[in-house]
Amino acid sequence: MRFFVELLRGRTRKLLLALALSVATLLTGMALLGVSGWFLTATYLAGIGALFNIFIPSSMVRGSSFLRILSRYGERVSGHAATLAILSDLRVLVFSRLIPLVPIRDAAARTGDFVARLTGDIDTLDMVVLQLVLPVAAALVAALGLGVVLAFVLPEAIIPAIGGLLATTLLVPFVLSRLGQAAGTEAVGRSAHLRTLALDGADGHGDIVALGIAPLVSGEFDKAARDLRAARLRQARWTALGPAAMQLGLGLTMAAVLWIGLGAHATGRISGPMLVSMVLLILATFEASGPVLRGAGRLGAARAAARRLSAILQAEPAVDEPRVPAVLPASGALSAGHVGFRYGDRPVLTDVSLTIEAGERIAILGESGSGKSTLLALLIRLADPGEGAIRLGGINIRDVATSELHGRIALLTQDTPVFIGTIRDNLRIGAPDADDATLYGALARARLDEFVRRLPLGLDTWLGEAGATLSAGQARRLCLARTLLAPAAILLLDEPTAGLDPDIEADLLADILTATSGRSVVLATHAALPEGAFDRVYRMDAGRLAAA
Amino acid sequence: MSSVEFDPRASADSLRPEAKAWLSAQRKAAGRWLTVSMLLPLLGGVLIAAQALTLAGILAGVIAGGRSPSDEGGAILILLAVIVARAALALVGERVAARAAEDIKLAVRQSLFAALMARTPEWMRARSSGELTSGMVDQVEALDGYFARFTPAMVAASVLPLVFAIGLMTVDWVVGVIFLVSAPLIPLFMALVGWGAESASRRHLGAMSRLSGLFADRLRGLVVLKLFGRAEDEVGRVQIATEDLAARTMAVLKIAFLSSAVLEFFAALGVAGVAVYVGLTFLGDIPLRSVPLGLEAGLFCLLMAPEVYLPLRTLAAHYHDRASARAAVASLDAVFDGLPEAAPLPVMAARRAVVPVRAASVVIRGLTVTAEGRGKVLDGIDLDITPGERIAILGASGIGKSTLLEAIGRFRSFEGDIRIDDAPVGAIDEGSFRGRVALLVQRPRLFHGTIAGNVRLARPDASDADIRRAAALAHVTDFADRLPDGLETAVGERGRGISGGEAQRVALARIFLSDPGLVLLDEPTAHLDVGTEALVADSILDFAAGRTLIVATHSAALARRMDRIYRIAGGKLLPVPHRPPGSVPTRAGMGDAP
Repeated sequence: MRFFVELLRGRTRKLLLALALSVATLLTGMALLGVSGWFLTATYLAGIGALFNIFIPSSMVRGSSFLRILSRYGERVSGHAATLAILSDLRVLVFSRLIPLVPIRDAAARTGDFVARLTGDIDTLDMVVLQLVLPVAAALVAALGLGVVLAFVLPEAIIPAIGGLLATTLLVPFVLSRLGQAAGTEAVGRSAHLRTLALDGADGHGDIVALGIAPLVSGEFDKAARDLRAARLRQARWTALGPAAMQLGLGLTMAAVLWIGLGAHATGRISGPMLVSMVLLILATFEASGPVLRGAGRLGAARAAARRLSAILQAEPAVDEPRVPAVLPASGALSAGHVGFRYGDRPVLTDVSLTIEAGERIAILGESGSGKSTLLALLIRLADPGEGAIRLGGINIRDVATSELHGRIALLTQDTPVFIGTIRDNLRIGAPDADDATLYGALARARLDEFVRRLPLGLDTWLGEAGATLSAGQARRLCLARTLLAPAAILLLDEPTAGLDPDIEADLLADILTATSGRSVVLATHAALPEGAFDRVYRMDAGRLAAA
Repeated sequence: MSSVEFDPRASADSLRPEAKAWLSAQRKAAGRWLTVSMLLPLLGGVLIAAQALTLAGILAGVIAGGRSPSDEGGAILILLAVIVARAALALVGERVAARAAEDIKLAVRQSLFAALMARTPEWMRARSSGELTSGMVDQVEALDGYFARFTPAMVAASVLPLVFAIGLMTVDWVVGVIFLVSAPLIPLFMALVGWGAESASRRHLGAMSRLSGLFADRLRGLVVLKLFGRAEDEVGRVQIATEDLAARTMAVLKIAFLSSAVLEFFAALGVAGVAVYVGLTFLGDIPLRSVPLGLEAGLFCLLMAPEVYLPLRTLAAHYHDRASARAAVASLDAVFDGLPEAAPLPVMAARRAVVPVRAASVVIRGLTVTAEGRGKVLDGIDLDITPGERIAILGASGIGKSTLLEAIGRFRSFEGDIRIDDAPVGAIDEGSFRGRVALLVQRPRLFHGTIAGNVRLARPDASDADIRRAAALAHVTDFADRLPDGLETAVGERGRGISGGEAQRVALARIFLSDPGLVLLDEPTAHLDVGTEALVADSILDFAAGRTLIVATHSAALARRMDRIYRIAGGKLLPVPHRPPGSVPTRAGMGDAP
């Protein structure tokens, strides 16, 4: 959670403003009820026709009510402004810290899931500010204010009043959230299981119909939904205690202050109006406990989210930058020498050796899962091999600055995304300063230029969510154009045509080979290869590379 | 789940009347629990009044009546009893509300899943499974607050302020009138503010969804950005976008929060008004009463003042639950193409009668399939397949191969006539149809569970040996035996990532475990490399012995091993000249494409 404290510190001013307004809302509420009670009782005791200075108390009543209206509005706005600012800082922090980590080791397989969880985790943390930091701080200040007033008016009530307030507002919510944690975790797990079965039902609908197993699958879904219901009801046993404990805490604290106050009144140490005022003050102060209680219910989820984010932020980078980077020769062969790689205890690559001379074209065939992608990832140093070494121009790529290495080698995969943004934005990722002529040149080589020219906005066409959509083949061509814009002399192509219709696949592969002429190419694929397009063809089988 | 209270996306929805009625109708599922949860706050109102009355009595008795604290012992005991009763009521109320909401969510989930199962594969084609899943899990969860919190709060807010105000009228009519006038104004003002917020949020909606997607988008492509050396630049972009998003959200929130201010305005003014009015009455400055007001009555009015507005405040705090629920219903309505009636889940029918399997005949006459936006995909196709024949359908993807298999397999509606063993396909009951016809769909799904469990789906009573045999035939054991857990390896959503080719073979093993007379395989060797394809083709032919087989494929090597080959072009089925295997002794699958 340390990173979160740093984030809060970065927005101290916004937070202090929000806190000041939260406190002001609470205090004006206390003043409003307290003075009202005093005023009402004092006027009664003064009696009809008495000379009574109504100006000060009645203007205090009106004043505090108006201030409260303003501070309530300000509290909501400033609290949300601070929260949104902190969330925005958190997004930027996570994004920038993730850069050295890619590919995130465990998440490489299912990036979509990972991204969804990451964004979800960040959103979960917004409650920490709004429902925890601010209300708790405001409750503490209110407790202090109550203590100061009581010290002057009814000192013997300080301990039960402050004790009751803090116990109800802080202790009870946190104890309950801890006790309810196991039930909460169980509910989260069951919800995830239900989601799995729902996805099976939707994604596997065709298989379910074809196999005639709808009743079987429905039965499992039904059981999972019932299990989730039971888990949530167990969780509700704890959460239901919160409002009850609040009622009890408020009532008992008020009764205690009342009892002490009655005694003090009997001995003349407190006036009637002040006694009424103190009882009402207690009622107003407990307004602080509501938000804390609601926040504590979500504390478990927020802690889990913070823990996962913290783990990411503290993770070791996948590869280390050399302290003194070696300089690469102007050109040279890319070679892997006796390379081995394990994923956990599962060997992925075993004793792989391969040399790609400048300008050579190499194809690696093999089933998916045979280790082709891993080899390409090692060649571009997304990870380091366990055994052996990869050299470019005779220099171990571990000794080269990754930015320089990535200037020499580029990777294009079937998952290479089209980013939200314009076509121009997408292409300029490959070459930030390229002019339109250069961009269209690359599009022409990827055979997408005609399509882009026909668009009303051309290169300025917005892609992605709420924008124009490209067909799968067009998206690959756009990514190809982006890759062609980069100066890299060596191109690694990881199944660049997988998942496309066969005729489109064949066209695209032919176009890729034409467009990349003059560069070194390593193509990993399970597709059929055009005759004579490659200098050498290898076959990867269970992590071993052999000439095909 | 964001706790930012105002979600403009949620309030900008408009629900059609049927959907609103559907949402109300879901109350039935909770039965009396929901009724109880709506009545409990009213009982709570009685206790609130009792507490204020007792407290005012004690204070007035001591301050104005000259009673000693010990005289008030009984009253204090009553006060404590009321306090405990309120706490107990809060506990019961929460649990009953949770019970009601959980019952409703369970019922809605069951009927959604039943509706999904009742849909045809044709309907599924146009749907996003992610949205359907999120509908059944997340959108249903969004109904929770509506039933657990908003509905009881709504009842309390429409009854309690009015009852309190009328009750206070008997104490002092001016105080009663203050509340009676101000309390109903609150929802009115809030509605006005709400409209403002809604139109403000609509204006920002497009930009907001675009911006909020940007962060996820850049994260997803982080590897690419890094490899191009662009990642650091994107940090700045993400920062600008997310700050822009925050600014736009704040613009909407500033209007939305006016409702908080309105609520506070009335609540604070109510308290202040009562205090000043009662005080001045005590001083005789407002001679509106014939009978003097006592201290107890005055204190009671003051203590009740915040309570009159509290139900409205609670309602406002839960108002976004209503907005979320309505947004969820709108989304379910759109995603599921209409909201489902409460329906029981399908139950397992009696096991299909075991009839000795025999190869089926297929007769197709004038088969025409029209697809939206593509015109006639198949146009008047005739085909006769004798029992035991093996047919290949060649052609590029999207040309209609799958469509033909789907029409035969009852996955798609068609014009014309398809008969299996002389019975029109539409006339065969679902249970026996699926028992006689096996269909391998194009992208088979592996279900959550183990590899063996996935194979077993085809025949739940199969023995382990049967499953191993089917898995071996489909060359599943080739890769499964290399895994530490073998066939018991977990697959599916949260299991080991399994490649497309491996999943294809597990799905084939499922078919090999069943005992159909007609086997329809759509691209059974997609994702397989040439060597594995040949092995799998051998297995398919082994299994097809004594059955009728139709294979849609773009692999010429696989097609050549069938008895007859057709090509689909222009919606027509064209025979491809072909010498059946046996006449040409080739090693399976090693030749080149024609």
